[in-house]
Amino acid sequence: MNTGPYSEPTVAAFLHEQFLPVRTECFWDNPTEPMRRFDVKWTPTFLVHDPEGKEHHRFVGYVPTDDLLAHLWLGRAKILYDSDRHAEAIPLFETVLSRHPAAGAAPEAAFLRGVAGFKSSHDPKELRRAYDRLTAKYPQSEWARRADPYSAIPL
Amino acid sequence: MSGILWETDFHAALAKAKGSGLPIYQDFWFDG
Repeated sequence: MNTGPYSEPTVAAFLHEQFLPVRTECFWDNPTEPMRRFDVKWTPTFLVHDPEGKEHHRFVGYVPTDDLLAHLWLGRAKILYDSDRHAEAIPLFETVLSRHPAAGAAPEAAFLRGVAGFKSSHDPKELRRAYDRLTAKYPQSEWARRADPYSAIPL
Repeated sequence: MSGILWETDFHAALAKAKGSGLPIYQDFWFDG
């Protein structure tokens, strides 16, 4: 059951320290209540919920360890971001970027880190810095294109 | 930590989450 990234002690420890880990088996010929409730259409599907059960982050398909850990940090950051706790979310977005810079979730973390910085400080330079970071480190990502309007903000 | 101890009942996990303040990580899997 604990194969792939789940077989790694660091992943297991992280999941137990930072989350309540839940595994839900899917049956395609008779979809279960959790499958219908969360509109699961393919496996593996991974969700991060806040302690009240509200979904904040979702990713689909196998992910190796580095990508998984990045998604887990991003999920935690998005719980805070979605709750308008922007200053608290920033260090978690930065954790994605410093510990897992090559992960697939990193460009989204860089974008949202900029938005969280702007929302917490009201300084538009935070958005420009996000654009600069995305174009420097993740120029091919969609998130770099999403940040393109911020290129006009002077530093 | 020798392995992950998974909760399989989402509602039970939700009750624990509300008590502990921890978020929930949920893995939907298929034993194909």
